[in-house]
This record gives sequence, C-alpha cells and structure tokens, in this order.
Amino acid sequence: MAETATHTDHAADHGHHSSTGLSNNKLAMWLFLGSECLLFGGLISTYMLYRGRVQNGPHPSQIYDIPFTSVSSFVLLMSSLTMVLAVTSAQRDDDARTNLWLTITALLGATFIGGQVYEFTTFYREGLGFTTSLFSSSFYSLTGFHGVHVSVGVIMLLSTMGIIKRNKITGNKAEVVELVGLYWHFVDIVWIIIFTLIYLIPS
Amino acid sequence: MDTVNNVKSSRRRISTTVAGLTGLLFLAGCATNAPQDTWQAKGPNAQKISDLQWIVFPIAGVVGVLVLALAGYIMFKYRDKGQPIPTQGHGKPTAEIILTIVPALILTVVGVFTFRAIFELAKTEDTEMIINVTGQQWWWEYDYPVQTELGINTPIISSGQLVMPVGTKVLLRETSRDVIHSYWIPALNGKKDAVPGRIHLLRLEADKPGIFAGQCTEFCGLSHANMRMEAVALSKEDFAKWVASQQKAYTSPADGTLAKEGETVFLNQCVRCHQVNGLKKADGTPALAAPDENVYSGAAPNLSHLMSRNTFAGAMFDLLRKSCRADVWDATSEEFGAKYLAGVSESCLNQTDLRAWLRNAPAMKPMYADPTKLTKTGGKYRGMPNLGLTENDIDKLVAYLLTLK
Amino acid sequence: MAIIERPSSEVATPAVVAPSQALGAIRRPVASKGWRSWLFTVDHKKIGIMYGVVAMVFFIVGGVEALLIRLQLALPDGRILSADQYNQMFTMHATTMIFLFAMPMAGAFANYFLPLQIGARDVAFPRLNALSLWLLVGGGLILNASWFLGGAADGGWFMYAPNSGPVFSPSNGVDFWVLGLQIAGIASLIGSINLIVTVLNMRAPGMTLMKMPVFTWMILVVQFLLVFSLPVITVALVLLMFQRSYGATFFDVSQGADPLLWQHLFWIFGHPEVYVLILPGFGIISEVLPTFSRKPLFGYPFVVFSGASIGLVGFGVWAHHMFAAGLGPVSVAVFSISTMAIAIPTGVKIFNWLLTMWGGKIWYTTAMKFAIGLVVLFTIGGLSGVTHSVAPSDTQQTDTYYIVAHFHYVLFGGMVFGLFSGFYYWWPKVFGKLLNEKLGSWNFWFMVIGMNLTFGPMHILGLQGQPRRMYVWTEARAGEGLFNFGFWNMVSSIGSFVLAVGILFFLINVVITARNGKQAPADPWDARTLEWLATSPPKEHNFDRIPVVHHLDEFFHRKYEEDPNTHTMRQIATGEELIRAEEAAADSDIHLPGPSYWPLVLAIGIGVLGLGVVYGTPVMVVGAAVVLLASFGWVLEPSVPEAIDYASPDGDGHSKEIATHG
Repeated sequence: MAETATHTDHAADHGHHSSTGLSNNKLAMWLFLGSECLLFGGLISTYMLYRGRVQNGPHPSQIYDIPFTSVSSFVLLMSSLTMVLAVTSAQRDDDARTNLWLTITALLGATFIGGQVYEFTTFYREGLGFTTSLFSSSFYSLTGFHGVHVSVGVIMLLSTMGIIKRNKITGNKAEVVELVGLYWHFVDIVWIIIFTLIYLIPS
Repeated sequence: MDTVNNVKSSRRRISTTVAGLTGLLFLAGCATNAPQDTWQAKGPNAQKISDLQWIVFPIAGVVGVLVLALAGYIMFKYRDKGQPIPTQGHGKPTAEIILTIVPALILTVVGVFTFRAIFELAKTEDTEMIINVTGQQWWWEYDYPVQTELGINTPIISSGQLVMPVGTKVLLRETSRDVIHSYWIPALNGKKDAVPGRIHLLRLEADKPGIFAGQCTEFCGLSHANMRMEAVALSKEDFAKWVASQQKAYTSPADGTLAKEGETVFLNQCVRCHQVNGLKKADGTPALAAPDENVYSGAAPNLSHLMSRNTFAGAMFDLLRKSCRADVWDATSEEFGAKYLAGVSESCLNQTDLRAWLRNAPAMKPMYADPTKLTKTGGKYRGMPNLGLTENDIDKLVAYLLTLK
Repeated sequence: MAIIERPSSEVATPAVVAPSQALGAIRRPVASKGWRSWLFTVDHKKIGIMYGVVAMVFFIVGGVEALLIRLQLALPDGRILSADQYNQMFTMHATTMIFLFAMPMAGAFANYFLPLQIGARDVAFPRLNALSLWLLVGGGLILNASWFLGGAADGGWFMYAPNSGPVFSPSNGVDFWVLGLQIAGIASLIGSINLIVTVLNMRAPGMTLMKMPVFTWMILVVQFLLVFSLPVITVALVLLMFQRSYGATFFDVSQGADPLLWQHLFWIFGHPEVYVLILPGFGIISEVLPTFSRKPLFGYPFVVFSGASIGLVGFGVWAHHMFAAGLGPVSVAVFSISTMAIAIPTGVKIFNWLLTMWGGKIWYTTAMKFAIGLVVLFTIGGLSGVTHSVAPSDTQQTDTYYIVAHFHYVLFGGMVFGLFSGFYYWWPKVFGKLLNEKLGSWNFWFMVIGMNLTFGPMHILGLQGQPRRMYVWTEARAGEGLFNFGFWNMVSSIGSFVLAVGILFFLINVVITARNGKQAPADPWDARTLEWLATSPPKEHNFDRIPVVHHLDEFFHRKYEEDPNTHTMRQIATGEELIRAEEAAADSDIHLPGPSYWPLVLAIGIGVLGLGVVYGTPVMVVGAAVVLLASFGWVLEPSVPEAIDYASPDGDGHSKEIATHG
C-alpha cells in the first residue's frame, strides 16, 4: 500500500498498514471462507432434504460405520492441532519444525482421505452407487466436495512445505502458513458439522 | 379492463378518480373483453384479489403521480438560471425520518389487507366439490373423483375444458406428470403451480354460467405457449345433465356406416394411447389404451365424449367453427348452458383444424414426436406423432369422432 | 505495470524493464504497448476497459436477441422464430443481459473507478483481477458457443427443474449454460472478494467508511451480496450438472426428488442478484446527481444505510418469486411482508435523490438526464413492484407481461440508465475526451421514448392476461376493440426498435468521439470525488501523490470553501491547479505489480476443465493439468517484480514504493 513513501523492502509488501489492520491476504481468505460456508450450507441442506428418500439400495442407517468414521474424524481433528503447531513454529521462524508439523498435518489429512476412499469403496460394494438414490447422490456430493477440499488442503500443505524448503516463498512466510492453516481449520470444522449431522443424528 | 363495467361500480369510480388522469388513460387503453383480463372477476376468489388490487393500485398510482410531479417541479424550479452554487448542506434527519415513516405506514395498511386476503384465499374447509387437475406437456387432464351428492357415481376423466357448477366452492387438486405447469383462470382466481410429486390446492368458484379462458403460466418447454385451458361454469341443473352425459354408456356406430369404419381405424391406431370408455375390440374384449407404453409422461387425453368439449389438443384448437364458437362464448348466462350442452354437431365441427391435426399433428403444435429423436426418452413420444393416415382414414375417423358425444 | 516512472518528468517513459525470471521457467511479460500489454495486464484500468468492451459486445448480442423476440411477437402467431428458437432466444436474452452485460458492465465501472475513488493505485489482487476478467470472457464464450454446437439453453434463465433435466431439455444447451454460468460465477466471486478487500484495506489516509463516495459504497454492498449468494447458485448448478452429465437424480421426481429445491436455491441467489444488478446504477447516479446539482448528496448516511439494508433484506425475500408455487399461506404472508419492507429503503433513496436536486443549480448534461431518467423510471418500476409484493395480487400478475414490464422498468430504466449516465459522466476521465452532448441528447431521448413504448404497453398486456415466455400469442385471447393485444404488442415491438436506434446513437457517439472528439478539460463537470484528482486519462499509477482525505466529496472541498459571512461557496482552486499541485509533489518512486501470463493461462485451463464435462474425461485431464501448472506458476511468481528487474531512470534502485501487491 502506498500510504507513505517509507517502505524500503519487499517485506513491507505484507503485514504493512491497511485500513482494517488485517492484511489483504487474510481478509480475502476470511471472505472466501465465508462464501464457502454458504456452499456447504447449500450441500448440507440438500442432503438433509434427501437423506430419507431411498427408493433403491441401502438406507443411511444400514450403511454407516460410525466407529470407523469416528476414528477418521478424530484423525482430521488432530490435524488441526498439528496445524496450529506448524503456524506457531512458522511465527517463530523455525523452518525445520514448521516443515515437520506441515508434513504431519498433510499425512493426517491424507489418512482421512484414505479413510474416505475406503469408506466410499465399501459403500459402493454394498450397493450404494452415486446414482442409486437421492440419498446416495446427495451423500456423495456433500462428502465428496468436502473430500476435494481436504485434498486441495493437502496439496497446499505439501506445496507450502516444498516452497519453504527451497526458499522460494513469495511474501511473508508465517502469513502464508497461517493462511493455509485458516483454510485447514475451516475444512476441519465443516467436517465436524457434517459428521454430526450426517452420521450421528439418525434420520 | 372493461371501462364500462368499471364506471358502473361506484367504488371503482371513486378509486379511478383518485388514481387520476394516469389511471383513466391506462383504463382507456385496454381492450374490451380480453378473455384473460385479470381485472374482470367472475367469482368470489378473483373478486377478493380484485378488491385488494383496488386498494393497492390506486395507492401506487397516487404515490407515483405525486413523486413524478415533485420530480418535475424540482427539475423546472432548480434548473441552472445562473444562481450561485448552493450551500453544501448534507440533509435533514427529520425529513429523512418522516420520509421513512410515511411509506412504512402506507405499507402497513397494505400489509394488513394483504395478510387477511392471503389466509382467506387459502381456506379449503368449506369445499363443496373436488376436481383433480393434472398437467402434462402440453395439455391438462381433469379427473372428477366419485362424488355421489353431485351425481358422479363413476370417475369422469376429461380434458380440454374444466366443467364445474356455479355457486359451488370447487377445490382443484393440482399435480403434474412431468414438468411444472401452472393453472390459471384469471376470471376465477390467481394461478397455482402444478408441481410433479406434490399436490397443490386452488379454489375456483364462478358466480354465473359462462366460459372462462386461461393459459399455462409456468414455462413448461417447447409448446408452453399452446397449453391453454377453458373453464366452463354451468348452472347446477345443467351441470347435473353434463355429469349424466359423461357417464352415458358407449354406443358403437351402426354397422356399414363410415363412422363404423372409423371405429376400426381408431382401434388400429388411436387406441394405443387414447382411451374411449366402453369401446370394444372386434373380438368383444374391452379396448384398453396403454399410453404409458408410448408416451413419456404416461398419459394421453381420454377421448370419451370428445364432442361434448369444444376444444382439442390441449385447448389449442377449437372443435367448433368460428361462428359456432362465438355463439357459445357470447351467449348470455341464461342461454349459455343449453348452448354448451348441445356439444359439437357435424355442421359446427371445425373440420379444417381437426383434419390437419389428424394428418400431421407435430406440424400443428411443436412437440417431441419425431420417431428418430427419442433416444433420451427410451423411444417414447412427448406429444402426438404423425400417424401417416390416408385421407380416406381421416374421413372415417372424423365421422367416428363425431359420434363421441 | 512493472515500471518506474518519475511522474514529475514530462516524458511519460516506461523505464527500461528487464524481464524477471519466475522460477527460471517463464519470463514475465514486459510489453507496455500493443495487444500483449492488454492480454497480460494487471492494471485495473485496462482490465476495467476490457470489461466494458466485453460487456458492450454482449449487450449488443442480447439486444439483437431482444429485437428478434419483439419481431416474433409483433403479430399474432408469429413465424419469425420456431418455438424451439424462441425458447432459446428468451433464455439467452436474459442470461446474456444479466450475467454477460449487466454484471460485467458494473464490474467495468467498479474496476476502473473504485481504486480511483478511494485513492488507491490498484486493486488488492491485480492478478486475480485479470483472472476474473478472463474467466468471464471464457464463461461468455462457452455460453454463446452453444448456439453453434447443437442449440442454446432453452429452459429460461431461471432454468426450473425438472424441465432442465436431460429428458426435457435434450440438447447440450443447458450443459453449456451450466458451465458458462459456473465459470462466470467463479469470476464474480474472485472479483467480489478482490473489491471488498480493496475497499476495506486500501483507502487513502483519512477516508473513513463514512467518507467514501456512494458509488464505492454501493459496489461494496454488491460485492458482499455476491460473496454470499454465488455459492448457493454454485450448489444448484453443480446438482444440475451431476444430474445431466453423471446420472444423479436430484430433480427427478420419479426418484422422489422435490423440484422446489431448485427454486429455493436459485432464488436465494436470484433475488440478491437483482440488487447486484441495480445497486451499481444507484451508486452511479448518487455521484452524478450531486455533481450536476452542485450540492452534496442529501442524507448521505441514509442513502448508504438504505443501500446496505436493501442488501440485507434482499436475502430474505427470495420466495416472492414463488408466490404461485404452492408454499402455504404462512410462508407467503411472511415473504409478502418482507418484500413490502424492502420498498421502504428503496423509497428513502428516491426521496434523497429528489432532495439532492432540491435547491440545487441543475446542469442538464446527458449524464444528468440519464440519472433523472433513472429516478423517474425506477419509481414507476418500484411502484409496480409494490403491487406484486401483495401476494394475492401477484398470483394474477406473475408470469404475465406485467412482470416483464416491471423488471424492465427496474433493470432497463434503473440499471441501464444508470450505466449510460456513468458512460457520459466518466468518459472524459477514462479516455480524455468528452462524448458529444448533442448526440448524447438524441441517444437519451430515443432511449427514453423507446423504453417507454416498449415496456409501458406490457403493463396493460400483462394485466389483460398475456403470459410471458410464449413464442406466439393468439388472437383468440386478444380481446376486442382498437386497444387489444395486437395494438399493444405492435407498439411494444416498434418501441423496441426506437430503443435500438437510441443505443445506436451511443455507438455512433463513441466512434465519432474517438475519431475527432473534443479534448476534455481536467475537471469538465466541476466534480466532487477523488477520481478527478487524477489526470484524464489517469496515469498508470493513478495518483502522483496519495491524497489525504478530510471530507466527503474531498475534491470539491479542495476547490471550494464556504464564506463564513455570506455562507456562499467560494472557489479557491480549479481542478487543474489541484492536479498540477499533485504532480509537483509526486511520490518519488512508484512500484506497481508486474504483468503476468498466469491469469490468462489459468482461465484457459479452467475453461478447458469445464468443457470436459461435455466432451469427456481426456479434455478434463488436459484442463486440470493446465490449471495445476498455472497455479504453481502463479504462486511462485513474485506479485511485484524484484528490484533487480528494474533499472530506474536515474539509476537509483532504492526507496521503492509498493503501490499494491497480490
């Protein structure tokens, strides 16, 4: 921002003065996540409307493996913790630890995705295809969309790590990690809501 | 809007005066007797809406005239006449508050009336008759469930024209077999969508015998523009006669007549989709139509008593010639019943359109009836295909259809 | 652009620019002239102009579609178009006008003037800004490509299920429609986040929110509406896409689906969208009316808050599009009342505009005429809107021409007149030349008369029962007498051509002005807001010195002061003098974001990825690969070129000022 002519280096590019005190990147991320809330809101509403509408194939209660999903949910929840540790390390400018925690977060995320792939495969074998019923279509759409979000998050985590390692980061390192963290926490929270509404509350 | 009628009503006259010159010009610019005029209520439901409109429109008109007059005044008064640049005042909060409260008060008044009307129009407890109305691309089916107190002892299935008794609170139970349609007879009530998988209720009641035009008002695909309807109100006695005529047993044409040959053509071709109640095959077994095997949405108009209706092909075409049609439409409410119940005679039949329809239906009304383009529907038609009938067959069929009274 | 410029020096030389090497892979584009400078630009002004050009092209496309519709309906049983063609025509007319003309044209104004009005040198994320533009172009091309690839979408812009399903709409038109809108939607989402951040974070020192120009305020409200409504239509479009392309049954009633799901999702987006369309127009005339009345906007805080509350309440009225859809009396009553409530802030705006002119010294330029035209026509449209907030009355009016009349008064009379007012007002700012006022007058009067002839009669047609979306109307329902459907349909069709001539005058005006238009003075309108503190056209970095703001209407208050004795306004400086003063005190080095290939590449990737839905997985894989490549290229490219990329004119590489980043 060009409010004063005193900036002399590119570090000023980020974390400089802004009218709100938030950096542009962070503000944009918050807005994006706000928009994402409505996206998941729409998908969750669709699922809630259609979860009981099963003309073919299994009903939700016949197919959900709640202990299994609880474990993978726990794994995802833990990844939020490791993400916090990564952000703290980045703020302390500790690249080694940052990378370590980012890797662990990515691994936990990947584990969750692995669990979801396994779950989808099992469901499919039990006769719940994408087009089987309104329930199945809306279930796969909602959880699939979430899965894509987690996958994108994993790619972002790994890329961030790679870029930090090669020292190619453009801009404020701690802030980049924090932004990825914001996204990651959001995806986590959405999963908690999905898990509660879909798996725990019987239809 | 019919200006003559408006002036007759004193309430309307007052309102019109209030609405001022704009309103008058507006009314003067309207056609007389437009069949779907929304401001010529012919029944209590539409009247309720009309009463509400006679509150809202004049208010809107007055506000509009005042605001535009104010705008005109300001535009003239404060044009640049070389006056100095005005003081840079930023507004007066009191003015703002007044200008917020006044519209809010006006709208509160409107809101109260609206609120009341919404719930009154939604009332169904005192229903006196039920008709099931089903929309399909691009026609309406009317199905009268058994209501012995009205003389309906076996279900009546009809299309083209909704027939109902006057002074009776009729409840339409609407649904659809394919996409969303909307049922609208402006003279009797506002519109209500017919949504597949749901049943929506709409109340109709007519004050006097007569015929009222309508039009499907939810875009429903290719021939949406051709999906029309007509509601016919008969006096209670005439309605009883109509019910009786619809329950009359089928009589096959006499052997050796052209009509009898037409029955054979019908059995060979038309009965695949179109039911005629009581029609029997050559071997004496009942001829049952199977529209669900040929039509994607699952039904085709039931043609029993076809000639008791005045329209065909989703009320797109008249069965009556122009002059005969005008005779029915323009009849006084006293004469209307008898004229309507006379049905379609040979001399009154609109041969041109009916024959053209039998010759090549898709050329008359856009439909998805090209046999080479039915992959998405699994080979089923959406609309009547060209049956490739010979002129000879058409002569026979027309003769036969004329017997379906 | 990656240039360092000494604003004080008379020669506007782009400095010698050495290309940067992002990752050692691809060099940054460096062109500052020619087509490359446009294709790879991240300059909000160039992007704004391109938005305008794209929107204008689509305005003409949508206009031709409208004329064909009116030709078809001029006479009963029209034969110009077949039923199928007509259905495609009205679908694409609405889609084009809303998504490819109105939103991008408002985007053009927002892009160009928002940074200028808040005293910034660019938007917060210049590359994302370019991405928005190219995605919009991609979406528009995909939408319109369907005309040549088996037929355009034919389900109406509202695309109600189940009529939009694969059986009822068998051509690929709807697939292209879904894709085009999805991509244009991503463009709008990115654009809206970008503009919100710009407004919230990049205002010049001293410009508090309540000192922002109203245009900026209205654009801000619009962007918030978009951020929260676009994801909802995204969900609806995704569901429809899964149904059409991958066999899901979201709207298949035989599987137990509820078609009203689509309507709710669509209108939760669709109603805020209406305000997305109209508020920029309100913003523009809230600049124009004060300027040409020589008075500040009457009740600035009320106008701002009424705009914000229109936006807020706009999320709570969607079901008034569904009064005939069988919602049940309680919902109908609630939405009826909330719809009436939205009339109150709208009325506040109209009164404030009128009171702005009250006591003024009104100068009737073309811009002012269009602005007043908006006030008058929008009042008519607003009042007819009140008549169908009354739900029972609406059940008679909905889906008739009365509604068509209403929303054209609101959108054409409101939005389009606002945009044209903006053209005439800001043309000298953007191009340094004044549009011809005489031709402007012809333009205005033809448009006003044409618009009223076209849409006025539709009120009558609708109340007399002519439904909309019908490819023919029949004499059997036309009524008797001279003033029957035939008369009014003919008037309306003639009117549409008068309207078209009016718009032609504008295009002619543009050409003539470009060829031999009058050079505009620095401050031709004695304007009030910060964008006029820049030169016309503005320099690449907008402001030589970032202004410090003390007043609402800062520019005006730098020119005039109130005489404490007589309370009259006294001129203390001309606009030109102020601009010269800024140049003299210019910031030393100004550092702007560099152009980039990646926005264009990423947009192409996303477009190809989308086409994969229609043309199969291989296409999708190619698209995804391009998207991934572009994303990495994007992330690894420094948003602002490195210092070593520059050789500043005086060899002094230090004390660079970052204009923006992103």
